[in-house]
Amino acid sequence: MEGDKRRTKEDTWKSEELRKHLWASQPDSQNEDQKHREKKLQKEQFVHDRDAHKHERKDRGKSKERTRERFKSGERDRDKMREGERGKEGDRERYKDKLQESSLEKERYSVPKDKDKERDRERDKKHKKHEIKQMESQNNLKSFEGRDKEHHRRRESRHHLEEEKTRSKERERRHTEKKDNDTKKSTDNFLAYEVEEGERIHKLQKDQELYKERERRHREKKEHSVRPGKERLSKERSHKRYEKEREEKHKSKRSKEGSSHGDRGGQPAEANERVKSGENERKKRDLRNSEYKKEERIQEEMGNQHVRTVKDKEKLIEKEERDTRQEEMKDTHVYNSDMGFDNFSANYEDDFEDYEDDFDDDEEDKSGEEGDAEENLREIPFSRTSEIEEIQRAISAENDRICTSLPKKTEDERKEPIIERQYPSVRNSFCGIFMDFQMANQRQSSRSMTSKQKKRSSELLPLIDLDFSVSFSLLNLPPVNEYDMYIRNYGKMNTKQAYVQCNEGNVERDIQTEEVETLEKWTQHPGESALVSGGPVNSQDMSVSGALTCKIDSQRLANFLRSACQVIAVLLEEDQVTTQPRWKQRSRQSSLSISDSCFQLNTNQPFLHDRKISCLYVSQVQRHTLLSVHGLPEKAGVGLLNRKSIICVWNIWQPSSPQKVLICDSEVICCCSSPNKTPLVFGGTVDGSLLVWDLREDSRMHPHMMINETDWTFRVPTFSTDGILNLVNHTSSILAVEPVSTSVYTDQNYGLSSLSYQEEMSGTPFQIASMDENGILNMWVVVELQKVDLAGSQTDLGLIPGGKVKLVHSSTMELNNSLFPKDVCQRMPQTLTIKFLSSNPNRFIVGTNIGLVCHGTRHDLKVLPKLFRPQESRLRSVSINAIDFFPFGKPLFLVGCSDGSIRLHQMTSEYPLMQWNDSTNGQPIIALQWALTRPAVFFVLDAASNIYIWDLLENDLLPVTKQTIPSENVVTMALLGELEKTNGLLDIALAKESGQIDIQQVKKKWALPQPEECEKLHLLLLQSF
Amino acid sequence: RFKSSTVKECIRTILKEKLANVQYIPEEMPQLTKSLSETIKDRLKEEGFDRYKMVVQVVIGEQRGEGVNMAARCFWDADTDSYAHDVFMNDSLFCVVAAFGCFYY
Repeated sequence: MEGDKRRTKEDTWKSEELRKHLWASQPDSQNEDQKHREKKLQKEQFVHDRDAHKHERKDRGKSKERTRERFKSGERDRDKMREGERGKEGDRERYKDKLQESSLEKERYSVPKDKDKERDRERDKKHKKHEIKQMESQNNLKSFEGRDKEHHRRRESRHHLEEEKTRSKERERRHTEKKDNDTKKSTDNFLAYEVEEGERIHKLQKDQELYKERERRHREKKEHSVRPGKERLSKERSHKRYEKEREEKHKSKRSKEGSSHGDRGGQPAEANERVKSGENERKKRDLRNSEYKKEERIQEEMGNQHVRTVKDKEKLIEKEERDTRQEEMKDTHVYNSDMGFDNFSANYEDDFEDYEDDFDDDEEDKSGEEGDAEENLREIPFSRTSEIEEIQRAISAENDRICTSLPKKTEDERKEPIIERQYPSVRNSFCGIFMDFQMANQRQSSRSMTSKQKKRSSELLPLIDLDFSVSFSLLNLPPVNEYDMYIRNYGKMNTKQAYVQCNEGNVERDIQTEEVETLEKWTQHPGESALVSGGPVNSQDMSVSGALTCKIDSQRLANFLRSACQVIAVLLEEDQVTTQPRWKQRSRQSSLSISDSCFQLNTNQPFLHDRKISCLYVSQVQRHTLLSVHGLPEKAGVGLLNRKSIICVWNIWQPSSPQKVLICDSEVICCCSSPNKTPLVFGGTVDGSLLVWDLREDSRMHPHMMINETDWTFRVPTFSTDGILNLVNHTSSILAVEPVSTSVYTDQNYGLSSLSYQEEMSGTPFQIASMDENGILNMWVVVELQKVDLAGSQTDLGLIPGGKVKLVHSSTMELNNSLFPKDVCQRMPQTLTIKFLSSNPNRFIVGTNIGLVCHGTRHDLKVLPKLFRPQESRLRSVSINAIDFFPFGKPLFLVGCSDGSIRLHQMTSEYPLMQWNDSTNGQPIIALQWALTRPAVFFVLDAASNIYIWDLLENDLLPVTKQTIPSENVVTMALLGELEKTNGLLDIALAKESGQIDIQQVKKKWALPQPEECEKLHLLLLQSF
Repeated sequence: RFKSSTVKECIRTILKEKLANVQYIPEEMPQLTKSLSETIKDRLKEEGFDRYKMVVQVVIGEQRGEGVNMAARCFWDADTDSYAHDVFMNDSLFCVVAAFGCFYY
């Protein structure tokens, strides 16, 4: 409850409320304060009495200062106070107080000095009374005087201060005067006593009234004073005990006094005296009370001004408590006090003093607040507490001293100090009292200090405005998030991991760069074909295609493509032929009786115009390949080809255009192709040079020409013996060129094709035999170079740059000297044609212009028969135009002569097996050839463009049929057909003078082989022997 | 006049000097805070704020990633009284020093 109330007070109190409380409660405490102060003053007086008059001045000055200050502020605030009084409620006590005050003030203001004097006199009288009683010791008297003086001075100073604030000097002077007066008075005590007595009585009466009031108030005061604080309650009890003790003491004291002062006068007298003195004291007290009340007012005013001093607060709290408790405890305490008062009625003054004493103790015990409050109105709380401590210390020391002195000393001794406090008449000085003096001295100095501080604080407090500041944020350390913590503990120093954001909203950490996509592409420079660059679309395809490319055999592919292209080209050609009626018609027209059908090779090319075909040659290996040699044009044609002869390579199944066109500078007389599948063409020219064309060469090596919107490649010879190898080279025109297969025909077997194929693949060199007009036979080795030198060769001067095939001279034979016997040599024979035996390439037969066929060999020195003679033995100038070996193995050959005679010779006999002289009516035989499909049939072409077909099985005397080519002269003839096949396909190529080439398909009856034809022929031949 | 900037500078230098390589060891911290506060107080007295009553508060805590929020509130005369504070942090601890100066009449 108490705490609650206090709090609420603290929280809610305001200046008005405070004032009310102050008004309501102040007087009680003021009275207490007053008493306390008086007590203190008495103490001080005691001290000063002990210390003679030296200290008095000091103390006086101090107290004067103090009081002066106090009154300065007091006067300052008096007006205010009065204003406050006006609005005051009519509290009885306060009203009385006011009355008292006003009266006292009046007294003071009106006749301060007189009153002082009066009072002084009174006091003097009193003291004189005492003096009278205690004349024995001068010391006592002196002290008495001092005490009086001090009292007097205090009063005086106060009054002076009320009047003048700054008249300290004057006051001092006055004080000195008063001192003097006092001393005078003390000396004149006896004189003045009687006179003053009256005044004194008068005053006493006046004071009596006051005293009554005072008594009343005192009772109330008691009540009030008893109330405040629990401590007080507890102390009240001790008080009562103490009071009783005091009573006893006083009684004993009185008795003692009585005994001690018995010689001076009787007890009653003394008691009377005491009553008087008590009255005096009371009077004084009243006066002081009024003063104090006034001071309290002032203090209150000051308090109102410094409302917020803690001291005031505490006071207020205390007063509050007192007020509240007043009601609670009034009755009981009133009774107690009444009872006490009744008890004390006889010597109430003692009680009063006791009470004061008690109160003093109380005050001191409590906190010394009220007591100090009088003097140190503006003490700062902490300084006050220090003083309180001091006081408490002093008290405790005092009490200890008392306690210690109690057992030692007698009752008298024990009582004496206490009495001495109250009554200076009893004056036995002891050490305890001396200690009191020191303590008091200290206290006074500290008091002065605290008063200063108080003043300062009171001045400063209104200036200082305390408030609650805004709260300051000293530290705001946010919690570290988990990831940062992790990084701090485990991450690298001074690194911070940041996010990497790739796609929208795709937040990822620790991302790496993506793998680079690679794609392989290739290019080629210079671009050899349309496909210059390329590569797989992606990596997967690359691996697949890479695997594929690994499996590809480019050579086989090329071969396949080449052949496939040919096949397709042929098919297209055939389609074209069938769809073009002109061609058909023409072929019908030109078809012969011997042939089922006929077609022409398209020689109607601009570069072939006006060129005579000098030679036709059919490849021994590839029977569908036809070489046609076109001679120089009669008149100047296309610029490039003006002076060049042309060899066309035909595929008879593709007659629309020549497969390849070969050119050379000189006129080609004879030509041949390689004995194996290597596409080589050899040609012998008029000027004795031997030419080689490699058909495998790239077309870009050769000159091109746009003729009638067709791009023609004219191949120049790969190798030419023209101008090189002059020692061994032909000096005259080459009449015949023959391929010589070195080892193929050593045995008469049919493993030929396979071997030839192998040769082709291996590129085994073969030989070429070339024979000129002078009978010189040169053997050439065809060498295929492994390495191509596009820059041209330094050693092989006849080789075209980039060419792969060259001819190496092997051997030379003088046929005229070696072959012919002396008698024949006289006739100056001339070799015209030469044929190598297919079964034995070392042996060859040479046709001459004297009707003889010489039999030669390359290595063997002598072969038999040396000559193959006609049936008539004499030599005639008959040139051998054609020789053809029997293709089916038997060593037979046909010889066609310029006189139209045809001979069938056997290799082993000098004379022919058969001879037909007039089959052509004397027309020279131009060409003669065994049928490739039937052994017993051969074809003969005479100069009159008649084609004779001989079938020996049917008729061995005359040709079975004769076909005359009507339109124009046929220059030469060649047979095309598969040697081993029996499908009966046999074509005759007829080269006409105009340059046309007709292909006549021989009728089946001459083409289809008959069963056992070889044996029949053999029998026939045997019969002809 | 209690200049918070100079006071702050004082605190900062002292903290740097005293706490540069100090690790948080719970047993040593009470002694450290006391000595720190004494040092700072003496240093501030040397600065010559002779009309001021100084209150120096030192708080040392361990750095463990937890969040800390410290605040101060004063009932004083804002015209004359002031305060200064500074925070020192290293890897293992943080130290908050607040120095309050009250004008002494």
